[in-house]
Amino acid sequence: MPEPRHRSRSSRRVKTKLPGGEVVTHYKKRTPGISKCSKCGENLKGIPRVRPYKMTKLNISKKRVERPFGGNLCTKCARSLIKEEAREVS
Amino acid sequence: MYEIGRLCVKLAGRDARKKCLVVDILENNYVLIDGQTRRKKCNNNHLEPLNKVLKIKKGASHKEVVDALKKEKIEVVDSKPKQKVEKPTKQKKVDSKVEKKQVKVKKLKTEKVPTKVSEDDLKSKKISEKPKESKTKQKVEKK
Repeated sequence: MPEPRHRSRSSRRVKTKLPGGEVVTHYKKRTPGISKCSKCGENLKGIPRVRPYKMTKLNISKKRVERPFGGNLCTKCARSLIKEEAREVS
Repeated sequence: MYEIGRLCVKLAGRDARKKCLVVDILENNYVLIDGQTRRKKCNNNHLEPLNKVLKIKKGASHKEVVDALKKEKIEVVDSKPKQKVEKPTKQKKVDSKVEKKQVKVKKLKTEKVPTKVSEDDLKSKKISEKPKESKTKQKVEKK
């Protein structure tokens, strides 16, 4: 039987082989889901799938795309939004 | 549609949402732009044209474009180029220690004044050396 805290399936189970030939289960945390566009819900590119505590360790340029609304909107939504802004002014 | 001097907004890339002027028209759907953005080649699909057309020459320099934009109350903030700084040369830590040692040795040498060895000193040395030798001799004899 696994330890009581490991009985739930919230943690991922990985079977690894030790150098002695013994097979042991290791308990690892699950990776978070893919970040999505807040307007259309499409998967965003260029954003790493890591736990929040690891996200804080990354550089700013590695967390998001280098563009206005980068990391929140997909390219299509950002482009249409900027177009609308430009047309209102002119 | 894209003439020289056309005011545009960039849609794609890190310069998106910034305003620029068309400086030159290149072949195959491409134009040369300058202004709030960097001076670079750009696809027409990545631009949104605005109403205004400003008067500039074909292939105008960055200064001329900035002056034309200032009249339309569009400010351009140029990033300052990085100033070159000389790299600090590594100084070995060992050198400083050696220098200190050398200084100490020099001081000691200067302090010590060579004096004539007196006879009393020689006698005392001989007295101190003798018992050691005698001890070793005794041990050998015992064996």
